[in-house]
Amino acid sequence: MLDKAIVIENLSKMYKNNRGIQDINLEIDQGEIFGFLGPNGSGKTTTMKIMVGLMKADKGDVKINGFSIINDYERAMKDVGCIIENVTPFPYLTAYENMQLRGRFIRQVDEEQIDKCLGVTGIIKYKNEKIKNYSLGMKQRLGIAMAILSNPKIIILDEPFNGLDVEGMVEMRKLITNLSKQQKTTFFISSHLIHDIELTCDRVGILYKGKLIGVDSNHNILQNYSSLENYYLSEVDLNADS
Amino acid sequence: MQILKAVYINEMFKISKKKKITAVFIFTIISVIVASIVEYSLNNFAGIRITGSSEFSIMVLTILSYSLFPLFTAFICIDLFAGEFTDNTIKFTLTGPASRVKVFLGKIIAIATFIIANLIFAMVLSVIVSLIKNCIIPNLLKILISYIMAFLPIFIFALVVVLISNITKGTTSTFMLSIFVFLVFNGLTLAFPQIKSYLFTSFFDWYRLILGSYINFSKIFRVFLILLGYGIMLFTAGYYLFERKDI
Repeated sequence: MLDKAIVIENLSKMYKNNRGIQDINLEIDQGEIFGFLGPNGSGKTTTMKIMVGLMKADKGDVKINGFSIINDYERAMKDVGCIIENVTPFPYLTAYENMQLRGRFIRQVDEEQIDKCLGVTGIIKYKNEKIKNYSLGMKQRLGIAMAILSNPKIIILDEPFNGLDVEGMVEMRKLITNLSKQQKTTFFISSHLIHDIELTCDRVGILYKGKLIGVDSNHNILQNYSSLENYYLSEVDLNADS
Repeated sequence: MQILKAVYINEMFKISKKKKITAVFIFTIISVIVASIVEYSLNNFAGIRITGSSEFSIMVLTILSYSLFPLFTAFICIDLFAGEFTDNTIKFTLTGPASRVKVFLGKIIAIATFIIANLIFAMVLSVIVSLIKNCIIPNLLKILISYIMAFLPIFIFALVVVLISNITKGTTSTFMLSIFVFLVFNGLTLAFPQIKSYLFTSFFDWYRLILGSYINFSKIFRVFLILLGYGIMLFTAGYYLFERKDI
């Protein structure tokens, strides 16, 4: 088994407005919970979109479980669950039907598995309601249920705590840590909520103006700084003029 | 193959859940009934005989080929492409995971299935109405071949809408541009008859080539090749844009 779940190599993507990401290099170990921090427009979502094949990079590659996202997309994404940007299920379908759409791509998914995932994320009661009647938080929970439907080895979550109430955030943190501990699931999470990242992640990377300016373990950071927030601010300050 | 099958079943499932589908069948029924009433009135009250028993199905096909069939097809193509780009639901299919070629192919096959289902429904309905009206069994083989032939130009129009969906941003602009292309091509056919044989819109009734007493096979083959050429070019261009699109 490969010890690296995700390998990002020289990843670059520039938009017409000269924003984007430049030469991102990163390795994520199997079973690790990696937090991706950065201000708005720093390139977090761009990186994650390239990681799951929604965007094409100008340069570089991403390998997931050893498979290139460019050359071997389906095998690379086979064991990946993800939420990218906002969760947008089909509004004219019910939660259950949306789960069925996802389930058809995976052989071993049955009704029981769908119900289990909807139960874990707390929306089983509303499984037969159409998505157009769902709140933002309920859509987010459904997105997470879809991401874990296939029992993936890697879960990529872009702002997973968006729209969740306090109870939902606590449940989500528990779910992430439990999956990581029990099933050795690897997580790649971006969030603005630095407190949640501090409580959940093993290692943190900071993206600023499209460049990865710092990667360190949570343990090391909290030994040298009073909080992850202080570490984040000091790294951003150091790179603000560059 | 399993992933392509999953994409196709998902697309058909999504199409079946849309309210537009009910509207499509209701409008088709209304069109056939109205055509039947008009024909009956002209035959019996005005003394004008416009169709025989088998021609009624062909008349229905001619009316629908230039009106409702392209319109319904455009709606479905827009929903499956431009609509999913606009509301970002395309992300769910792409990260399914399914490679873009399979997603594109699955959607195109689903659109083709919709067109075929629509044609079969109109054909069966028109034959039943024709039987009730005339109490004579129409020439089913001719009708069947005509409806099969009608599929190709409508499918080509679907590929045009798919191409436009991959160029424009938004469902309204795609719809307007698709209708514009359809009208301009039809206008060009009328204004410049010399270029008629190069425009796919002038072949919406190419099944008429098999209806006469003399069937010109070489002309049928030539038109088929022109439509096939359109199909290959539009499919390739649509896929190229779909593959390169950043979501």
